[in-house]
Amino acid sequence: MKKSMKRSIRHAKNGHIFGLSEYTVKIITVAVLVILWEFFSRIGYINPLHLPRPSKLIATLWELMTVGYPTGITVWVHINATVWRILQGYFLAACLAIPMGLIIGRSYLLGRATNSIITFARSVATISLLPLAIAWFGVGEVSRVLLIAYGCYWAILTNTIQGVKQVDANFINAGKMLGASRRQLFFRVILPATLPRIFAGMKIALGVGFMVIVAVEMIGTIKGLGALIQQARFYYSSNIAINGMIFIGILGLLISIGLDWLERIMLPWAVGLEEVKR
Amino acid sequence: MSDSFGRGLWASWAGFITLLLIWQIISMTRLINPSIFPGPMGVVNAALHDVPLNRLLQHVGISLLRVGLGFSIGTAAGVIIGVASGWYRQLGSILRTPIELIRPIPPLAWIPLAIIWLGLGESSKVLIIFLGAFFPVVTNTYKGMVNIDPNIIRAAQILGLRGRRLLLRVVVPASLPDIATGMRVGWSYSFGCMVAAELIAANSGLGYLIMNARQMGQIAVIVYGVILIGVINLLTDFVIQEVIIKRKLRWQFSGAS
Repeated sequence: MKKSMKRSIRHAKNGHIFGLSEYTVKIITVAVLVILWEFFSRIGYINPLHLPRPSKLIATLWELMTVGYPTGITVWVHINATVWRILQGYFLAACLAIPMGLIIGRSYLLGRATNSIITFARSVATISLLPLAIAWFGVGEVSRVLLIAYGCYWAILTNTIQGVKQVDANFINAGKMLGASRRQLFFRVILPATLPRIFAGMKIALGVGFMVIVAVEMIGTIKGLGALIQQARFYYSSNIAINGMIFIGILGLLISIGLDWLERIMLPWAVGLEEVKR
Repeated sequence: MSDSFGRGLWASWAGFITLLLIWQIISMTRLINPSIFPGPMGVVNAALHDVPLNRLLQHVGISLLRVGLGFSIGTAAGVIIGVASGWYRQLGSILRTPIELIRPIPPLAWIPLAIIWLGLGESSKVLIIFLGAFFPVVTNTYKGMVNIDPNIIRAAQILGLRGRRLLLRVVVPASLPDIATGMRVGWSYSFGCMVAAELIAANSGLGYLIMNARQMGQIAVIVYGVILIGVINLLTDFVIQEVIIKRKLRWQFSGAS
């Protein structure tokens, strides 16, 4: 009897400990971890050169926000540079990939003809193009933006193609039967039905872009969050590197939350779709 | 059906060859200096003459060793922690908190800190590759563990399975498809991390090969290296997909289709 009680607790939907909600448990966990970290740093068990204690990190954070690193370039400048690069590459990719994907998705033969090229281009790690981009376009903004665009492009393209192919044939037939012209069929039926998938692709693309930006900023620039952590590495200041990483993480999280929010507002008919897919 | 498939395969090759032809023709017009924009023939030439085969195999070998090591450790740790946090929910809500906090940081952003921690040697690269594999595997494993059809567990419990046997015989196998998804995503992340880590700080491996070629101005070698990276990524992904996942999980997929 006792054992089965234990199991029912184990399989409770969320992990209650002492009747606390999961949310509370999480906050307590974070607090305990931070306190332990601070404590063990202060008594000297953690090398401050490797992992500075939390209070030191907060002091560094303040410095980054006011003085900046390298001096004069505050963290806001870094964030601004990173976001601007991502946006440029991202929009370039979306502008090219969505129309291309719609065309390829509508044509069977074109889809087949491009299939092997797309598969191969996707498997080329975007970062491996960095030396090529530098050789062709120099160590400048163009290289960075183009690499981000390349990474985003294939994610958006493949999802757009899949989206067009997966449009319910009944929708198209119904549209035809109701007398829609080719143009109406495309803009009123196919495009709206494809948009949720395009959006999914754009979300994936942003993740890819975020991976790429950090690496491309590590070479040949001092502005940008990737550059910030790379500079920190040269001077072995892990407190700045960790702060930079936290900023990168928060930025990525904010962007993905923003995209979810945008999707809910712009594509209310896509809400049920997530559930269907599972 | 087979007719349309044959036509599709033909079109697939035609597309590929057309692309190569366009590339070759553009390079043959010599509008752009061939040492900056080499054609396919130039790349083949560079592959045959500029990169000795034994050096190349060394680079490929060391890269595969790094990515294999980091990926294996990452997958093992991800599966163990994912299964543990899915099975012991209380432990899970504690373990998952730091994981969820660290996960949004892309693995590549760890490169500077990894170098500060572990120096420029192999271990810092393996750490980056490990992180690339760990997070997708751990989140997917947890997702798989949590989303198991409760009827399966109830049926197993009625049939008398409990404790560790229930976990190993029913719950873990039932979440294998999600683990497999995590492994595939993890592999592509690990591979990208390997290339990036080798580009930024290494003196061997595929990433180093192309970064070194850039410094020497051998653009045809860079293109060759990039193609090679793509091919190796495709092949290894194919191996993971077909050999490990399809063979070991055949019953799962045959049930699904």
